[in-house]
Amino acid sequence: MRYKILLAGDGGQGIQLMADIISKTVFQADLYITSVSNYGLEQRGGASLNYLQISDKPIGYPKFRKPDLLIVMSKQGRQRTEQNQLPGVETLNFEYYNGILEKENIKSQSLNVLFIGILAKILKEKKICNEKEIFVLLEKRLGKKTNWEENKRAFEIGYSK
Amino acid sequence: MKESKRDFITGAEVVIKACRDAGADIMYGYPITPTCEILSGWINEGYASLQTEDEIAAGFGVCGAVLAGQKAFTASSGPGHILLQDAFAMAEGMRLPFVMIVGQRGGPSSGTVIYSQQEVMLSCFGGNGEGMRFVYSPSSLNELYSLTRLAFNDAWKYRFPAVLLTDGYMLKTTGVIEWEKIKDVENSPTFTRLSDGANVHWPNIYTAEEELYEEVMVMNKDYKKAASKVAKAEEYLTKDAKILLVAHGIVAASAKEAIVELRKKGVKVGLFRPTTLRPFSKKQFDKAASNKSVKKILVAESSLGQLARIVHDEMDPEICKPFAYLQKPALGIEIEDIYNFVLKNNK
Repeated sequence: MRYKILLAGDGGQGIQLMADIISKTVFQADLYITSVSNYGLEQRGGASLNYLQISDKPIGYPKFRKPDLLIVMSKQGRQRTEQNQLPGVETLNFEYYNGILEKENIKSQSLNVLFIGILAKILKEKKICNEKEIFVLLEKRLGKKTNWEENKRAFEIGYSK
Repeated sequence: MKESKRDFITGAEVVIKACRDAGADIMYGYPITPTCEILSGWINEGYASLQTEDEIAAGFGVCGAVLAGQKAFTASSGPGHILLQDAFAMAEGMRLPFVMIVGQRGGPSSGTVIYSQQEVMLSCFGGNGEGMRFVYSPSSLNELYSLTRLAFNDAWKYRFPAVLLTDGYMLKTTGVIEWEKIKDVENSPTFTRLSDGANVHWPNIYTAEEELYEEVMVMNKDYKKAASKVAKAEEYLTKDAKILLVAHGIVAASAKEAIVELRKKGVKVGLFRPTTLRPFSKKQFDKAASNKSVKKILVAESSLGQLARIVHDEMDPEICKPFAYLQKPALGIEIEDIYNFVLKNNK
């Protein structure tokens, strides 16, 4: 089994937090995972990527061209992953999910948490890990920060998609 | 080593653990991506360190600490690595066990900040000498740990400086390290300390040409002797290989995965992976390359031929096999790249 996820957006959108929560949960499930971040010199505003690979066997090379799942969180993220947008790649685009957040009256800052919810659903369906374990880590990281209630709802909305 | 069977940690954290387990007393350094986390992580652990004003000072700091009997090391990249070669060459001349962790980034100059394989020549032959240093190129997190330990041990055992040649992908990847798969080793003892007040002439400069010539020839003899023990390479499915792929470091990890897929298609391809780029495992390479089954040799690397240059220089000139090159300076070489390249050359 090998499942490849590419997260792409802008610095400051919480891409690396998403990767951190997902990868730590998968590691706890006794599987192999690699997570490699890729960004430029900017602290904020530049493109920010993370290549995640999950496997039941040791993983050699941490990067890949063709993901199974591509999560595009910004226009810049889309531009930066042009070479990865290949036939057969399941792609989740930020425009659609920002629309959902808007309808629910949740700020777009919770977009990464909504995608964590979607990932929790996908990974549960693939029997990789449990959504509850992802949520526990998420709460640990964000539970005491502002907008936690909104983030919690964003996670639930993502998980229900 | 760790008590847990496996950890999920970054390459930089692996390096810190390995340096500590190797008995390193102090780190001198100046931060530069992608090796910043080695310096900051080392400091955060509360280990002795000195953040110097630049890499030149860091390098000579290592030399001084080693002369005083400490296991010292540094870490740097790209333009910082260039500056460190000054002190590194002095360590070569004075036979000091100097360990330098290099996280290759794109070049020339400041280039890019994450990844490349363009510091091979600088690591192997960067000084104004004959390149009498050991250069290790790990290909996985497990090996990043074991080769860091080995770099310290070999440097102190044979008294030559050593480079642990990594890159930003390897240092910044968070992955699973399995301690059970890593053999623990005993540490080489540190250099004999100079007693206080001792007056020892330990030169890095000579008055007469003849004097230096003698010194370099002794060094060369010692290096050759050490090289026979230090040079290492891994072969993967080379016995019946029609195509011999040569790659090092993280590109070799990509190559291995491509080979698994190519073998499923019936393509007879194997990998020769030098784990030390200097000294190069010449005998082992010549044997693998001269194997009758090998029809073509492919060299894949994230530079414009720095590995290929070493291969050609070291290879027995009587081995006549066609070569092809996959060269992507400053770019990662993905599994698909190698897969397609091998298929193209398998006609």
